[in-house]
Amino acid sequence: MKALLRIVGVLILIGIVVVLGLMFVPPQRTAPAAALPADYQPPPGAGRAVAVAGDCMACHTAPKGQPYAGGLAVPSPFGVIYSTNITPDKETGIGNYTLDEFRAVLIDGVRKDGAHLYPAMPYPSYRKMSEPDVRALYAYLMNDVKPVHAAAPVTALEFPFNQRWGIRAWDWVALPKAGFEPHMGDARLDRGAYLVEGLAHCGSCHTPRNRLTFAEKGYDARSGDFLTGAVLNGWPAPDLRAKDSDAQRWSAAQLAALLATGRSDTTGVAGEMATAVEHSLQYLPKDDLDAVVGYLQAIRQDRAVAGQTAPRANAVATTATLNGASPQIDLGARLYLDNCSACHFTNGKGAKAVFPQLDGNALVTAQDAGGLIAVILNGAAIPSTQLRPARLAMPDFGWRLKDDEVAALATFVRQSWSNDAPAVTGTDVAKVRAASASAR
Amino acid sequence: MARQEKKTDAVIVGLGWTGSILAMELAEAGLQVLALERGEDRDTVPDFAYPRMIDELKYGIRLKLMNRPADSTLTIRRSLQETALPYRVLGSFLPGNGVGGAGVHWNGHTWRALPEELRLRSYVTEKFGAKVIGPDLTIADWGVTYDELEPYFDRFEYVCGISGQAGNLGGQTQAGGNPFEGPRKRAYPLPPLPTLLNGKMFGDAAKAMGYHPFPLPSANLSDTWTNEYGMQLGPCNFCGFCERFGCINYSKSAPQTCILGALKHKPNFSYRTRAEVIRVELSADRKTATGVTYVDDQGEEVFQPADLVILAAYQFYNVHLLLLSGIGKPYVAETGEGVVGKNYAYQMSGGTSLFFKNVNFNPFVGAGSSAMVIDDFSMNQVDFGREGFIGGSYISSGQFNGRPIASMPLPPGTPAWGAGWKQGIKDWYGHSMSIGSHGSNMSCRDCYLDLDPTYRNKYGQPKLRMTFDWKPNDIRMTQFMRSKIEAIARSMNPTHWASGYKGEGAHYDVRPYQTTHNVGGAIMGTDPTQSAVNRYLQSWDVHNVFVMGSSAFPQNLQYNPTGTVGALAYWSARAIRQDYLKNPRPLA
Amino acid sequence: MNDDRQPPTTWHALKPPESRPNRRFMLKAAVGSGAVLLAGGPSATQAAKALLDEYKPVYFSGAEWAFVRAACARLIPSGGDGPGAIEAQVPVFIDRQMAGDFGKGSDWFMGGPHDPNADPQRGFQSPLAPAQIYREAIAAVDGWCTLNKGKPFAVLDEAAQDEVLKTLQAGQLGLRAELRDFFTFLLQNTKEGFLADPMYGGNHQMVGWKHIGFPGARGAYLEWANDQGKPYPLGPVAISGERG
Repeated sequence: MKALLRIVGVLILIGIVVVLGLMFVPPQRTAPAAALPADYQPPPGAGRAVAVAGDCMACHTAPKGQPYAGGLAVPSPFGVIYSTNITPDKETGIGNYTLDEFRAVLIDGVRKDGAHLYPAMPYPSYRKMSEPDVRALYAYLMNDVKPVHAAAPVTALEFPFNQRWGIRAWDWVALPKAGFEPHMGDARLDRGAYLVEGLAHCGSCHTPRNRLTFAEKGYDARSGDFLTGAVLNGWPAPDLRAKDSDAQRWSAAQLAALLATGRSDTTGVAGEMATAVEHSLQYLPKDDLDAVVGYLQAIRQDRAVAGQTAPRANAVATTATLNGASPQIDLGARLYLDNCSACHFTNGKGAKAVFPQLDGNALVTAQDAGGLIAVILNGAAIPSTQLRPARLAMPDFGWRLKDDEVAALATFVRQSWSNDAPAVTGTDVAKVRAASASAR
Repeated sequence: MARQEKKTDAVIVGLGWTGSILAMELAEAGLQVLALERGEDRDTVPDFAYPRMIDELKYGIRLKLMNRPADSTLTIRRSLQETALPYRVLGSFLPGNGVGGAGVHWNGHTWRALPEELRLRSYVTEKFGAKVIGPDLTIADWGVTYDELEPYFDRFEYVCGISGQAGNLGGQTQAGGNPFEGPRKRAYPLPPLPTLLNGKMFGDAAKAMGYHPFPLPSANLSDTWTNEYGMQLGPCNFCGFCERFGCINYSKSAPQTCILGALKHKPNFSYRTRAEVIRVELSADRKTATGVTYVDDQGEEVFQPADLVILAAYQFYNVHLLLLSGIGKPYVAETGEGVVGKNYAYQMSGGTSLFFKNVNFNPFVGAGSSAMVIDDFSMNQVDFGREGFIGGSYISSGQFNGRPIASMPLPPGTPAWGAGWKQGIKDWYGHSMSIGSHGSNMSCRDCYLDLDPTYRNKYGQPKLRMTFDWKPNDIRMTQFMRSKIEAIARSMNPTHWASGYKGEGAHYDVRPYQTTHNVGGAIMGTDPTQSAVNRYLQSWDVHNVFVMGSSAFPQNLQYNPTGTVGALAYWSARAIRQDYLKNPRPLA
Repeated sequence: MNDDRQPPTTWHALKPPESRPNRRFMLKAAVGSGAVLLAGGPSATQAAKALLDEYKPVYFSGAEWAFVRAACARLIPSGGDGPGAIEAQVPVFIDRQMAGDFGKGSDWFMGGPHDPNADPQRGFQSPLAPAQIYREAIAAVDGWCTLNKGKPFAVLDEAAQDEVLKTLQAGQLGLRAELRDFFTFLLQNTKEGFLADPMYGGNHQMVGWKHIGFPGARGAYLEWANDQGKPYPLGPVAISGERG
């Protein structure tokens, strides 16, 4: 008994020491990946290119807000996290950050005052950044971005998530090594890897996460889990590596078109990917876009998308049913004619590069119908891009359709033509509707 | 004292079709371009979004996309003896408003002027003798030839994605197209829309009588299209809410679908809405413009300095601004002197309805430009000497919409109300088609625009006054077309048919909708004593003012004006970019 | 981007429709009388009248409302083959129009000077907006009816009412020039109320559209462009999504 008590006491003591260590031992800052001279000048435009590739804008600019002044509310399973002001304003922004302090944010996820950042800031990916890129970004934010004097809302999560020292523990467990290790055996593909695994932080959405720690299950292509699909805030970010995924089935040109313009011949981006295209991917230099596409198609895995039903061998006679316009058709078909066929047409094929095809569409047939439901309720817009400036927007139908009607319609499109995905219920729809309302 | 804004290189008045074309051309040339639009901002979503857009009452009847007479209107009289009265309620024509202007809510008929139409006075004189031109007709040559404009017709058609069948490729007649059209260098960007039943029936009947039917060239697209700006349009779905409505699915050519998304990417382009230009300001010697004065959304006057002023508002407002700004000598009908305001013209149209008890036309399956046409009585096919008029018309059967409030043709004898009307609409809705004549209108001495002596706008400026009436020349033309159409109609053996054409003594009735093809008032030409702008649409009097639009037409074409308006805009833009900007001066 | 509206990727900022269908009113209709109305027949007319009785006009006075109900009922009568203005709730439409932009002439140029005696081809020239024209004309017509027929319009028999309307239509009732557009507006508004989207208070449950076979706010017919005369079988949909 005494021995047991002594063991328990020692364990408690160790626990206290660990916690105190986490709380009070100063955070370690990773040294720069390469030694550059103190007066190193980034090439002109390099900083802006890094900011664009990293898509700092997407999180650090609020809707209708000033560029990089923060204030965007990012929902997380732990509560709402607000992005910070990263303009060079000295009081409310990062104007007082030294280079080393700035690097620590990107590589170690540590603020100037030593506090750890919630990994809503994707430093687990940014940690792969090269030192020239860190320097270029620092110079850009400090010199080329307009300082904005505006304090962003302070993130205040509920206990225990407001204990930032806990993130330090998480970092120990979850973070990959800092820096980028070439592993593709080819300069172009490694450039693609550097961008995808690092700055573009695609894994933040497209890699499945550990259920307990919420850490990404892998951080580069050497991990079998990396970029194999996830559901984030009810939205399915597709598997990019399975042999029957869009990313692998399409030609390189189609994939490049999707990233650069938000639209391919058969579909368009929606949800967060639309933002990524609008602010970041459309501006990737051609060589970088080419490298990203090459890399993605090089990390193909010889398996089907998990949990996805294969397309039907014999397509349902949906087109003929819809064309008949009989008053006796089912509710789902009726709703399709009343709401959708004006653009997506009765054959579900939409129109090339303008109206997404629904027959065989990844979002429509995803295991998780959350994205499809969100699009029906709230609409979606393919953003205006330099190459394809038409902003192609689908209107919302949430005001027009009740939950059970949305469910019937979503089920209809998921099970028509060659599609064969599980049905949707009114409860599913109600959940998405409530989440959309609270996100406003 | 108006506040003053920072100078811009070019200010464009109005952000409709010609405003968007000129803004894009000048922005591409590297100028700082500012467009001022008096109406509101508009984009496909949310402003034309399905299903709220397809509301017949709101947009088709109450005309909520159009310019409101309460905001600005003109006065109208039919002769110098009448007192002009305000056009209080929209009827005869529907001026547009807002970003995109009428380019948002047009039908989409996109034609080229005939070679002969662009040099009409010369053509008539050469072929029939000058005596054929009545003393009151003031028809004129345009100063630009079809061959000069051909590449610009083509350019506009390719920006829009016009869906049609070429009839004359480089001089070679093409089957299925318009054999009477001017030669084009290449085919239309897209094939024609599918032909609806009415078009098939009319086409068959016309062919049997020896005519040459072809599908109407359509800015409702038959397929997806990506234009030179990277802008994309989708295929028309025949929703039947085309004219008077913004397109719900990106399939009607408009500034929004063809140009604006790309234009907004240019850092040297900007625009302000709810900014109504009330005057072009001139230098002390009145030889150049210094900019424009506009009223902003707070009701304050603002002076916007600029080196180049493009008037790209609707035809009426271009002429009105010239008059209010003192640019050019105003036309005085009593003396025939002056140029600004002269040669106002309209469109002479008429039609025959055919009723077929046993045919389902499904009229709600409609597109603004869905029609089968014959051009066998076009301007270059009619013997003016023999027929006693100068003019021509295309004849067509269209199915644009089946919107039941506006489109409810009923056989003659059906009561206007009561049980008979109720039965009539049940029996006949969906069982009728029509054949129409869309004809030219010759300009004349007493059809013109000037400033009204009595009525003022909300800024205290005199309203524009229109003096216009139908003249014997065009009435003879429309009666001629009537005889041709009724012959075709009879050959189709309808259960009933009924005609509506202006007859002898008819006067201009402003109540029923006719067309929004108002032209003239700032006509182009080669003689500064007879025209307001030169062949590049440059003001003869103020060389840094260019005036776009159908105000340039010396008389009206038999065709819808937009194709020619678009071509002239690109033509003028080229002259500005290649010539004027290098050395600002009168170009002619 | 130059416009100060952010282009959203989701449509939070969309405005709701200008006039929502009066949900309580429609709900009652659906629950109480829907099936009966659609079935047609004298009980349908009774049910429609009951529905009208429940409606509280926002513009018309009691006497005006009675006139409008009676006039509509003659312009598009009940009975025979199909619904009439009463079944379609057209008087509700007209009342609401009077209270809106149309009634107020908000979009029209109403400034003076006026020449209400001008040739009708010169277009509308009255100094009065439609709602005011209705008000004064109804009073004038009722006055004429009382004088010439002994009773106000609403309580005359149908044949007499038809006669009055024909006289009015022919411009022979003696309305002063400022009111001469009254019959034109009344007939136009009645037809609008029969065939406009139900959200405006008329075309109740799309009975007008069903009467003629118009599919309403579907607007999706590419596949029917080649139908070569086949009748279109599917019923209408309203902008609200209501299915008929």
